Amino acid sequence: MPLNYPLAEQTLDNGLRVVVSSDRAVPIVAVNLWYDVGSRHEPPGLTGFAHLFEHLMFQGSRNVQSGQHFSLLETVGASLNASTFFDRTNYFESLPSGGLDLALWLEADRMGYLLDALNQENLDNQRDVVKEEKRQSYDNRPYGDSYERLVRLLFPENHPYSHMTIGSMADLDAASLEDVHAFFRTHYGPNNAVLTIVGDVSVEDAFDAAKRYFGHLPAIPTPPPAPDGTIGPLTEVLRDDVTDDVPSDLVTMMFRLPPDGTPELDAAGLALDVLAAGQSGRLNRRLVRDEQIAQSVSGGALPLIGGVSFGTLTGIASDGVDLQKVEEALLEEIEKLAESGITADELATVQAQAERDWLEQLSTCAGRADEISHHALLFGDPNRINTRIDHIRAVTAEQVQAAAREWIRASGRAQVTYRRTEEEA
Amino acid sequence: MSQMTTPPPVSPPGPWKFPESTTTTTSAGTPVHIFDRPGQYVATVRVTVAMPLFVEPRELEGVATIMSRTLDEGTELHSANDFAAALERHGAAYGVDVSSDALHVEISVPVSHLAPAVKLLAEAITRPAFNVADVGRHVTIRLGEINQEKANAGYRAREAFAAYLFDASTRRSRPTAGTPDTIRPLTNVQVAEFYRNNIGPARAQILFAGDATGVDVAAIVDDAFGDWRAEVGPALETPEPLYLSGDRVVLVDRPGSVQSQLVIGCAGPDRRSAAWGPAAVANHVVGGTITSRVDTVLREEKGYTYGTRSSFAAPRKGGTFTLGGAVRTEVTGAAIGDALRILREARDGLTEQEVQEAKDSLTLTAPLRYEQADSIIQQVASNIANGVPIDFADTYMQRIAATTAEQATAAYREFVGTNGLLVVVVGEAKDVRPQLTELGLGDLIELT
Repeated sequence: MPLNYPLAEQTLDNGLRVVVSSDRAVPIVAVNLWYDVGSRHEPPGLTGFAHLFEHLMFQGSRNVQSGQHFSLLETVGASLNASTFFDRTNYFESLPSGGLDLALWLEADRMGYLLDALNQENLDNQRDVVKEEKRQSYDNRPYGDSYERLVRLLFPENHPYSHMTIGSMADLDAASLEDVHAFFRTHYGPNNAVLTIVGDVSVEDAFDAAKRYFGHLPAIPTPPPAPDGTIGPLTEVLRDDVTDDVPSDLVTMMFRLPPDGTPELDAAGLALDVLAAGQSGRLNRRLVRDEQIAQSVSGGALPLIGGVSFGTLTGIASDGVDLQKVEEALLEEIEKLAESGITADELATVQAQAERDWLEQLSTCAGRADEISHHALLFGDPNRINTRIDHIRAVTAEQVQAAAREWIRASGRAQVTYRRTEEEA
Repeated sequence: MSQMTTPPPVSPPGPWKFPESTTTTTSAGTPVHIFDRPGQYVATVRVTVAMPLFVEPRELEGVATIMSRTLDEGTELHSANDFAAALERHGAAYGVDVSSDALHVEISVPVSHLAPAVKLLAEAITRPAFNVADVGRHVTIRLGEINQEKANAGYRAREAFAAYLFDASTRRSRPTAGTPDTIRPLTNVQVAEFYRNNIGPARAQILFAGDATGVDVAAIVDDAFGDWRAEVGPALETPEPLYLSGDRVVLVDRPGSVQSQLVIGCAGPDRRSAAWGPAAVANHVVGGTITSRVDTVLREEKGYTYGTRSSFAAPRKGGTFTLGGAVRTEVTGAAIGDALRILREARDGLTEQEVQEAKDSLTLTAPLRYEQADSIIQQVASNIANGVPIDFADTYMQRIAATTAEQATAAYREFVGTNGLLVVVVGEAKDVRPQLTELGLGDLIELT
């Protein structure tokens, strides 16, 4: 279906790009900032810094006490958070529309004046919190380190995507307050961000408010771009076989894919969907339903902007089934798709699924604001949110097969397996 | 102009009400609640069936879950593979959920594909085949899932908490989806029998939320569900749960853990209680957010944890209060000590300012919570399962808005710490045990 969300765009004198999408249906407004700094911008020795800021940005700034960012927004009915990814960090809140000025003031105060409040004490404290986050999200769960292992295999050393956003705890430990301040001064400023406002506000009022709170912030020197990550498909098989105390044997394969924003990536993503998405995907049909050698299968593309993306396929072996059988079945299906392509019905199915996913993503002001920031920051074109479905619909079965043949091959993959520690007799 | 040094004023929002619905019934007598939400291009359609879990035979617990998971795994008209292909071809996603009082089966689908997708939803619910092979496969999958759950610290903690908070005569003391000994014997015969005895139009309600512009939702639903003819009378009422009380510590050994997963809690109110709203206000102050009393100390002051959260939760009968989170192994004892101290000190009283801020946060976030079609359906379905009116969110918000600091404190005192607190720790027992002994919290029960 054709989408027609209204969009208005302005760039302030200090370089801040502001996008407004007015929607008076619900009395709320979503504020969303994407900063052009993610883990791919982190030089060796400073891994985990973009994510560390996701914590430090809530510790107060020149006119905001520690903890006050949350408390001021929560008491006016806001839902708020932040997230870090390979390509960017984002900060966002949704709240009743009467709180728009407060949200913008808080965002502007930390964009301009975070360092007034960033001291050794809150650095030390949030470093501890990040370590607990790593233990909780990576170290204390089965297979929790699989992506760390996979990106290390899939990309050359020091490639911008060869480390995860959580970074190295050794790097965080070694960071001085001055290192942290310098990272902020380099990356955080109006000309390195997109501000999106979606919801119950007129376009004019939204732009006025953006100017009122962000207009006086000085631009920062143009930040150094992330290193170019352009790289073609992997042409070998790189394996990491782990024996560990895991509940079931598991294999994950990772493939390099074309960069986001290309028809080739859309096609490669649909190829992985034909294999792994939903209940009707080829892998679920064969491995889980028909042969019953796997408990579950999953997979999909992870779009990235910096010259290359990646995608995964995962199978968890059924109890008593040799993981090798799961691996072989995955490889057979991968090769079959590359050699024989997909049917018109399969293509229509994965396109229909992608369309629903997209419509759901845009169904809240917050979700729409996030995608507007995303497409404005990484592609310079927020209107891509309205044309995204057309791009997906335009992909042909031939393009899917061509992308699979080039990028998703048995002979070009990184692979990690986890096998259960043998019980002692 | 330059940066203002104080926060700008916030203009107060207008009144808010839960979205309104129109209600019809199908030819089979099943109520249909329609929430027309312009702009919500993806609709959610859910069938909620009263299904109290206590009716499962003790030796076959999990039969309701396996039954629910195999509804779409082959019907009288389609094989499992063909059914999934047909549904997904319409851009629909299908899901089931089993709670202690109800079965929920739902699809989300672009409104443009509503009619054929609802037809398939009805096929799964009213004409399942329960083939031997499909049920057997789901039994095997459930056994594998139990292995995954055993390896998951958070799951282990919740499971041990239920086992030691509730008396064994209460169904909720054991996992919703069954245990290996109750799952293994299940065949399609018992699954089909459970279905025949428990699922029918008289126990169901059908919910729709989405952009209904130009769509006759009632007709589409009636076309799919109007000829549902299963002779099943009203569901039995869920009995009151039986709680165990006293201060207890349960330590679950999980070798190799680098953190300790904690759940601390006790009995709580359910929706029938006048305390249900005020308790939520108190919870928000004590442990409901990052700015709460607990996380201000455990996360922001001491850096013991990535974060903890507490909540009062309740199905149809009998609620719980829990505080959960993961803390560094070496500080497990210290973190539990701090948490218990904060939980107990809160009984001495919550301040006017804390309570006002909590009320504001809880009431003013309501329009955000129900923006999406699916979130409306989840709330309404939960209201139905819990035996309260479908617009209960309005009543709940009014109760919260009317709560005084004294009432919030009283609701909290009625439950938290009154009949003891159960502490569950899942972690490296050899490192954690001495720290727990030092705390002197009473009987230590160890599980492996």
